[in-house]
Amino acid sequence: MSDSTIQHHEESRDVTFRVHRFNPQVDSKPYFDDYTIRLEKGITVLRAINYIKEHVDSSLTFRAFCQAGICGSCAMRINGMSKLACTTQVWDELDKAREPGVIKVEPLRNLPHIKDLVVEMDPLVGKMQKYSNWVDSKMPEEQWGKKEFLVSEEEFLAYDKATDCILCASCVSECTILRAHKEYVSPAVLLKSYRMNVDSRDSIHDQRLAGLVQDHGVWDCTHCYRCQETCVKNIPIMDAIHGIREDAIERRGTKDTSGARHAEAFMEDIEKKGKLVEATLPIRTNGLAWTLKNLLPMAFKMVMKRRTPPPPPLVKASKGIDALRKEFKEMTSHVGKDHEKKSGE
Amino acid sequence: MKRYAYYQSCINESMTKEVDRSIELWQHDLGIEMVKMHESACCGGSNLDYVSPKHFALVNGRNIATAEKQGLDLVVSCNTCLMTIRSAKKKLDESADLRNEINEILRKEGLEYRGTSQVRHLLWVLIDDVGLDVIRKKVKNPLSKLRIAPFYGCHILRPSTVLGKDNPLEPTSLDMLLDALGGKTIPYEHKNRCCGFHTLLVAEEESLNVAAEALQEAMEQKADCIVTPCPLCHTVLDGYQGKALKQNGIKGSIPVLHLSEVVGLALGYSDRQLGIKRHIVTV
Repeated sequence: MSDSTIQHHEESRDVTFRVHRFNPQVDSKPYFDDYTIRLEKGITVLRAINYIKEHVDSSLTFRAFCQAGICGSCAMRINGMSKLACTTQVWDELDKAREPGVIKVEPLRNLPHIKDLVVEMDPLVGKMQKYSNWVDSKMPEEQWGKKEFLVSEEEFLAYDKATDCILCASCVSECTILRAHKEYVSPAVLLKSYRMNVDSRDSIHDQRLAGLVQDHGVWDCTHCYRCQETCVKNIPIMDAIHGIREDAIERRGTKDTSGARHAEAFMEDIEKKGKLVEATLPIRTNGLAWTLKNLLPMAFKMVMKRRTPPPPPLVKASKGIDALRKEFKEMTSHVGKDHEKKSGE
Repeated sequence: MKRYAYYQSCINESMTKEVDRSIELWQHDLGIEMVKMHESACCGGSNLDYVSPKHFALVNGRNIATAEKQGLDLVVSCNTCLMTIRSAKKKLDESADLRNEINEILRKEGLEYRGTSQVRHLLWVLIDDVGLDVIRKKVKNPLSKLRIAPFYGCHILRPSTVLGKDNPLEPTSLDMLLDALGGKTIPYEHKNRCCGFHTLLVAEEESLNVAAEALQEAMEQKADCIVTPCPLCHTVLDGYQGKALKQNGIKGSIPVLHLSEVVGLALGYSDRQLGIKRHIVTV
């Protein structure tokens, strides 16, 4: 029987919480404190650190409120993964611990650190404001309270899951691109923008979308799916991000941003050759000047190693390309009919 | 000899030709045969699904139906092709309407999507069908001198609702295979992180920062090389390595090998035969 299985069957045991500590008024750099306490099976990480604060070290600082997975205040990294302390069982974490019996607790990443397990949420709130993530009502103010909006079930289902977000910032903490650039819009903000943009009561859809396609916006997401995988409410965040992209292409066309041009190239090439024509992808995405400046310095090495993608005439079309083209066209007419039907409703 | 319909990934036909070349070399040694799908079309590279969800379902439904017609599982050696084609399969399996719509079109070409072929990564075939014990016995040149940083890449792990083979937080499949080949994998925090490939042309600075962080950790851990099952991750970590490290002021370099190449090395093939000389970073 492995160590972890033994742990799982024990009703009570000593557990060590290795907690990230940092008080900027006193400490020159962060450090870890170990707190070992006797716990019973069934206890959550939040109750355990509450116990530490009340009985062992009152200086330990963290945020928490509802203790029921609703308010989103107690998100922190537990054994390296961002999640809610109040819905995380200590015994489950013991199974995942790298060092037997030790659970590592750290603050969220990608947000400024304030003290111990507390991070600054203002940058996230600021981005929610920047992208106007609220319903700006279509209804004239004089009709407020006198008239109702009717929302169809189909429309409600489009944003039902997105409204489950409790703004805990776990996805923000795990985001690859936000880690690489702090200006990036971030997954929670994109999710909220999607939710507002599919709401028929809202009047600023186009303005919000215009902001989302700018630099550090929706096209900078690298499809790593870490946000979706970490979401404490199991919201398919990538569906929302893809939803914004689909909407951007539909409403704004495929020429206005490098992200849209890049995505459109796949569609073009599949119809033409059944294959991606990689050699011209950088030019079609960013233009000739960008390509020369950014890729020419690498090209020499690539040519020497015979690693350059073949020029378009040498990209052999897939076998059966004629059939694929016909099928592609037929589907294009289906999509056209779908759009007519949708706009007729 | 167990046969598979081998999906032709665009990148393996253009920039990373060494992947297919090495698989062709050793496939029969392990009792498997990858039958190339010359009629397969580009999966859409995790872009087509939002440009046009219906074309996305059509193209990938057709790819899978082609494998089904031969009665074979579809095998890929690119993570993004894996995730993309599996996503389409999931959508088709869950929606009779979508299935009927694409089948109405595919029928004219004598194809039908039924959902009978599985869509699998080469790594999974090696572990589940060939078996680690068989691989261990076939090793002629164990990788025992190598300290390897295993880089899984995103789309073989996430979204787990589509992939589901490894625990995305603590993946083990690549480590297990490298162990069977006699290599020593090192603890590597970036093993399940992103390489930055999908934003290379849209947000290059961000992509290179992502790649640099993964490269830096492998070098700090004194790994001899990084091994990845994805040619897209390879393209960033090898091809863009110099640029990524320079942008982040990091000195040094580290070789990056494809999964198919390390299998070939362990089975006794030379780096020249496997196409390892084609890499940008010298191995």
